[in-house]
Amino acid sequence: MNEFLEWLQGTSLAMSVSENWFPLIESLHVIAIALVAGTIFIVDTRLLGLTSKRLAFTYVSDRLLPWTWAAFVASVITGVLMFIGNAAHYYDNTPFRVKMALLLLAGLNMLFFQMVTFRGVAAWDSDRPPTPARAAGLISITLWCGVIGFGRWIGFTS
Amino acid sequence: MSMNEVVDWLTATALSQTIQTTSWAIPGIQVVHIVCLAILFSLALSFSLRIAGRGFAVEPLASVAARFVPAMWICLVVLLISGALLIIAEPFRTITNPVFYLKMTLLVVAIAVTVWLAAVARRPVEKPTVVHVAGATLGMLVWAGIIIAGRYIAYVD
Repeated sequence: MNEFLEWLQGTSLAMSVSENWFPLIESLHVIAIALVAGTIFIVDTRLLGLTSKRLAFTYVSDRLLPWTWAAFVASVITGVLMFIGNAAHYYDNTPFRVKMALLLLAGLNMLFFQMVTFRGVAAWDSDRPPTPARAAGLISITLWCGVIGFGRWIGFTS
Repeated sequence: MSMNEVVDWLTATALSQTIQTTSWAIPGIQVVHIVCLAILFSLALSFSLRIAGRGFAVEPLASVAARFVPAMWICLVVLLISGALLIIAEPFRTITNPVFYLKMTLLVVAIAVTVWLAAVARRPVEKPTVVHVAGATLGMLVWAGIIIAGRYIAYVD
């Protein structure tokens, strides 16, 4: 694994990131995660029954989630570029590993919501969502705050 | 008082000392700052898209503005408080940094654009014109510029 990481950070793309482009890529990463987390929070607070109460859940989510996904792709691309610039360091970095674990949990939470809870959306679309839906919203907000927190923490360890 | 004296005075205050000596305080305040900018930026995008006739377009503009703009101001207040705490904690990072002043200038522009567009949205049966769409686009670029400048404060001194 270490050989692979050493090779990765020795590639010309990785060298050019670490030497010249890191601040710009990091700034674009912040803009992308701002859209990911911000749109998710707007949808999650609707799921919790706190915001946009008079509007259907799907009306809010249909208009925001395409932006969430587009921004997520941009976050992954900029994140991978930042990672390869100093691959061995990040791989061994505890905040980085926690951040990846939280991202995975956020993905599983979303998958469970989509596959199970969301199937019955017709019954609660215009009302206060049921407990499993509200739980999914609260878990999502918590995990994404964690992703941002551990992400920021990575920057204090290099 | 010169800039350096301001820096020294702020650094010596009890609040600055407390934040500096609490290991988690600066990352913690930064996380609050990032979460609020994320929400503000996403609300600004939703409002701007509505002005351009996209996104929440089946809803009246006034209704979208009433839902999103007050939340933007709440986020902005939390951003100003958390930002002020970060300046007090590490004044040498910002007060003598030209990028910080660029960021604050952009912030004034972003606030002015938002106030203007919110006023447009409040007028009854107002249909946004190309000028409003251009303003909304400019507003989004300025918010993005604020985020970029904020990150560059760490790289320029």
